[in-house]
Amino acid sequence: MKKTSLLNIKANEKVRIIEILGGSNLEKRLMSMGAYKGKEIIKLSHIGLRGPVVIKVGRSILALGHGVAAKIIVEK
Amino acid sequence: MIKKIYLIGNPNVGKSVVFSRLTGVQVISSNYPGTTVEIAKGDLELDSHKVEVIDLPGTYSLDPTSKAEEVAVSLLKELPRDEFAVINIIDSTNLERNLLLTLQLIEEGLPVIVSMNMCDDAVHRGIHIDVAKLEQLLGVPVISTCAVTGSGIKSLIQRIKEIKPYSRNKLNHKERWLEIGKIVEEAQRLEHRHHNFREILEDASVRPVTGLIMAAVIVYLAFKFVRFLGEGIISNITDPIFFNFYQPLLEKLTFLWQESGFWFHLLIGDLINGKIDFKQSLGVLTTAPYIEFGMVLPYVVSFYFILSLLEDIGYLPRLAILLDNLLHRLGLHGYAVIPVLLGFGCNVPGILATRVLESKRERFIASTIISIGVPCIPLQAMIFGLLGQFGGFYVVGVYLVLFSLIVILGLILNRTLTGYSPEFLLEIPSYRFPPLSILLKKLYFRVKWFLIEALPIVFLGVLFINILFYFKLFDLVTGIFAPIIQGLFGLPKEAVVALAIGFLRKDVAVGMLMPLNLTANQLFIAVTLLAISFPCIATFVILAKELGFKALFKSSVIMIGISIVVGSFLNFVVFR
Repeated sequence: MKKTSLLNIKANEKVRIIEILGGSNLEKRLMSMGAYKGKEIIKLSHIGLRGPVVIKVGRSILALGHGVAAKIIVEK
Repeated sequence: MIKKIYLIGNPNVGKSVVFSRLTGVQVISSNYPGTTVEIAKGDLELDSHKVEVIDLPGTYSLDPTSKAEEVAVSLLKELPRDEFAVINIIDSTNLERNLLLTLQLIEEGLPVIVSMNMCDDAVHRGIHIDVAKLEQLLGVPVISTCAVTGSGIKSLIQRIKEIKPYSRNKLNHKERWLEIGKIVEEAQRLEHRHHNFREILEDASVRPVTGLIMAAVIVYLAFKFVRFLGEGIISNITDPIFFNFYQPLLEKLTFLWQESGFWFHLLIGDLINGKIDFKQSLGVLTTAPYIEFGMVLPYVVSFYFILSLLEDIGYLPRLAILLDNLLHRLGLHGYAVIPVLLGFGCNVPGILATRVLESKRERFIASTIISIGVPCIPLQAMIFGLLGQFGGFYVVGVYLVLFSLIVILGLILNRTLTGYSPEFLLEIPSYRFPPLSILLKKLYFRVKWFLIEALPIVFLGVLFINILFYFKLFDLVTGIFAPIIQGLFGLPKEAVVALAIGFLRKDVAVGMLMPLNLTANQLFIAVTLLAISFPCIATFVILAKELGFKALFKSSVIMIGISIVVGSFLNFVVFR
């Protein structure tokens, strides 16, 4: 049970969201797109060094900017 | 009595396609979130009275987090509840996420009917939804529809009459997601299947290495195909019509006409070696139609064909992911690639599409970049036609100059403008393969829009220019600006007129350069200046409307400055 940000997870790993940092607006937006605390997600890829992170939530694929991905705390 | 019907749903679930089906009003729809930037309205005949149908921008929930969502939510509060109905459109391939909004709508007590759209696509993906069960669980009418083919739309219209406000316990977000989990569990059955080819492609396009390879191949092929199709139309269709049919006809008509008269000058223009030359005569009946129909229109058709295809397949958001890194440095995020690509067709829809970007700062940067560094397809067509004669090297050169300008300008604007640019957060749609008929309809719609916008300005513009020429009124302007044009840019003083016409229309402006017999280098400088200096009048108006006059002024100062710097740089340093 290791807590870390979405940036530090390898591609194709399944993790659970445990916290979303950085204001309620971001949390609300992610929540309405299906990514909420307690939800299991799969990290699909990470483009480049400071590029966006692509995740799979339920049946949708979301692209998150680097800064957004840093604010999503997950555990394996 | 129902007076209005609102279409509401998550982004990219096909609201606009349903809207077109209900009202017959054709609107542009694409396979990416945020295509609808302006609220479309149309009429539907319901029990022999007219009802207004309103297509709202996509929204994920009723707690708005963006401007588009705010607009959608506020409109729902305008009328008393018995005077409107809400059609909630759902993407059947993604029931779970879509139900959040549905539950909120029902909890609010709004008169809702659910349209389970893209039902055929769901079946293809092995998703089976029990519509009757869902109807029972939600307590509101649910109709399975496929707006692209039109199936289910009739029963949707019939059941609108059944709509009444329902009630349901209000839940918080967490409870709602739990509830949704239960509903999905009961109403949806998934077939277990292996990854098919489409899913493998979807996956590959969002991974770094395979994604970049795919992007390079797709962008290269798209560019090649636009040129191939454009040139094909010119050499097989439009040129034969102009040279084998239209020219002999015009020459017969003008055989007995006195050559130096006012009307001859206006309509036919100058004869070159005793003959009409479509590229050099500059008459309202000769060069004007040749520029628009013989040089520009073929490329407008081929460009919009490819753009519409990429849009409807759903490739563009994947390109946005790959470019996010680069665009971030320019103060934008990946999604800015959509307005930029639209800008390559015409800057006007490109600047309108900057509404998908959240902050004012991003919109200013994107709009300025589009109006300076993104040449519209009519201008590009003229560049291919004219500069291409000297070799593809020059054409590529123009694009390289423009691309470097975009990057430099973006870097500077990002450093100097106050405020910050928000982060990228975007849903990536699955690939869809629309029927050809839908694609052709969209193409027709866009080409028609182009002709309506362009033709009056082109014909009236050429007429007006010829009148000014006839009375030698340009000499004054030419005299004033000649030192800059000749001294700094190395162009003949007649080019002043062409550059000034650029404010009217870029394609006509390049057309005015045709009789000047410029060298390759001079032509290169002139078309580059046309691309980066003032945008045409239509773009100018939309810039003022979207950004306000203060920002427009700032943007214009940047344009003039850059034009002078780039023009002199090319003249004194590159082509020395």
